[in-house]
Amino acid sequence: MVSRAAAAIRTRPRREREAEVLVWPDLVFIEFISALIFSIALLVLSAMVNAPLLNRADPDTTPNPSKAPWYFLNLQELLLHMEPAWAGVIVPTIALVLLAAIPYWDRDQDGQGVWFGTKFAGRLTVFGFTAATMVTSLLIIWDGSLHVIWTENIIRGLGLNSDFSWPGGLDWFRNLRGFDTGIPWESLGFSIGGFTMFEDWRAIPLGIPGTTTDPWLLNLNFPSFLSQQLIPVATMVGLPIVFVLFCKALGWIHTRRDIALLIFSAFIGVYLTTTIVGTAFRGQGQDLKPPWDIVVLEE
Amino acid sequence: MSNLERAPRKSFNDLIYDLIFKNYVWQSIFRTGYPNTPRNQMLAVATNVFLHLHPTRIHRTHVKITHTYCLGGLSFFMFLGLTVTGVLLMFYYVPSVERAYQDIQALESNVRFGQLLRNMHRWMAHAMIILVLLHMMRVFYTGAYKPPREFNWVVGVVLFILTLLLSFTGYLLPWDQLAFWAITVGTTMVGSAPVLGDESKFLLLGGFSVGPNALIRFYTLHVIGLPLVISIFMAVHFWRVRRDGGLARPL
Repeated sequence: MVSRAAAAIRTRPRREREAEVLVWPDLVFIEFISALIFSIALLVLSAMVNAPLLNRADPDTTPNPSKAPWYFLNLQELLLHMEPAWAGVIVPTIALVLLAAIPYWDRDQDGQGVWFGTKFAGRLTVFGFTAATMVTSLLIIWDGSLHVIWTENIIRGLGLNSDFSWPGGLDWFRNLRGFDTGIPWESLGFSIGGFTMFEDWRAIPLGIPGTTTDPWLLNLNFPSFLSQQLIPVATMVGLPIVFVLFCKALGWIHTRRDIALLIFSAFIGVYLTTTIVGTAFRGQGQDLKPPWDIVVLEE
Repeated sequence: MSNLERAPRKSFNDLIYDLIFKNYVWQSIFRTGYPNTPRNQMLAVATNVFLHLHPTRIHRTHVKITHTYCLGGLSFFMFLGLTVTGVLLMFYYVPSVERAYQDIQALESNVRFGQLLRNMHRWMAHAMIILVLLHMMRVFYTGAYKPPREFNWVVGVVLFILTLLLSFTGYLLPWDQLAFWAITVGTTMVGSAPVLGDESKFLLLGGFSVGPNALIRFYTLHVIGLPLVISIFMAVHFWRVRRDGGLARPL
């Protein structure tokens, strides 16, 4: 029995011999020219810009900031906003698996071989890329507490209140860790029927009494779990869903290909934004800085 | 009759042409002249060891630059260039903590065109990553991952990972502060994996921190291990492009 999938994938475009050209010279010429252009461009670049070589490696002198190679700085950027296991390993692994899985999910053969291909592809691409870039930038600004600094500076600068500082009641909105440190978790216990619930949110017992479990499972530090795992993961799962629902409401999404276009473009936006921020906007202590203020210290 | 008439005198250009292209040695290498008939042009592609990666004829939409921007081919070209410059760099480089940094300094100051060689290798590596990423975007936006090309897309994702790993393993080799701390940061990320994190990190570094063992591991992976693996995946990648009928075309 031939499965539906196996039968469906064997369709191929009809061969149009009259529309074919010879590889020699048409294609070979283009390949030769493009290779030549790249060789010359790289030769000129190499003649002008030297590859960096710093001092000899010294395990006792740590540069501040220490950075991974630029193509991993997107992951290093994620590292600042969530639990290292998520940022360094789980998120990239899931991202690569999902990337590889696209063709097994979007199996429709329509729209192959032409740029963009569906009616709203252009809009979905532009929207996905732009919205993801903006949301990512805003999240980075928020977690870097830049909104706190900007608000303080503006209010002081306008002379409204010369010693204004971010209100303590809004401490939880300073940045992601604000959800951990800015909320009085200690006083949030409550009682149900005489039993005190969540007396200590920072050590919620998870293990069943009388059994032996992995020690880290025994007590959950909920505020830290919330800010370092729950919110980041919910954001990474939730935003794509919001994007899809939004574009669906606009009537832009009709096929799986449309969803793939939207999410892939958003992924490219996030990838690019985190790479650029990680490369050019992270100074000492991984603080947000404009590129011209970044100095590497050796400590 | 005509064979009694004197043959027209050869022009100077023809003489030079015959001298270069019609001598015994040249014709032992290139058995035919310039292929100027369609049949010979197809044979030129099909019978040449380097060109036979191509089909002999392709659809005319596929030679439009704006369809592919040559990104996949250029990624492969970067790989070839990196192999050539990499082999030359190996003449001057010993992967030991005592010598690595010194060798790079010597390469830059004492070797003729040494600095240029190293620059080429470095910038080509960066170019390859960017080109591979752009190639992936091109394939996605032209819907070229769709059936029957699903698995070749997966092979492409693997090639992307291997490209990053090749660059990452090469990053440590100069043994300067940039290299040392970048690899320290990178491998610390590996170590944070929830399962087998510390074990993977230990396997990668041959120890708990970046040291002589890490250098020799990264070097071996960089110059032989990963190039072999990526070559196999590239062969599969190109082969399947051919098997699936070249580039994707609308039904």
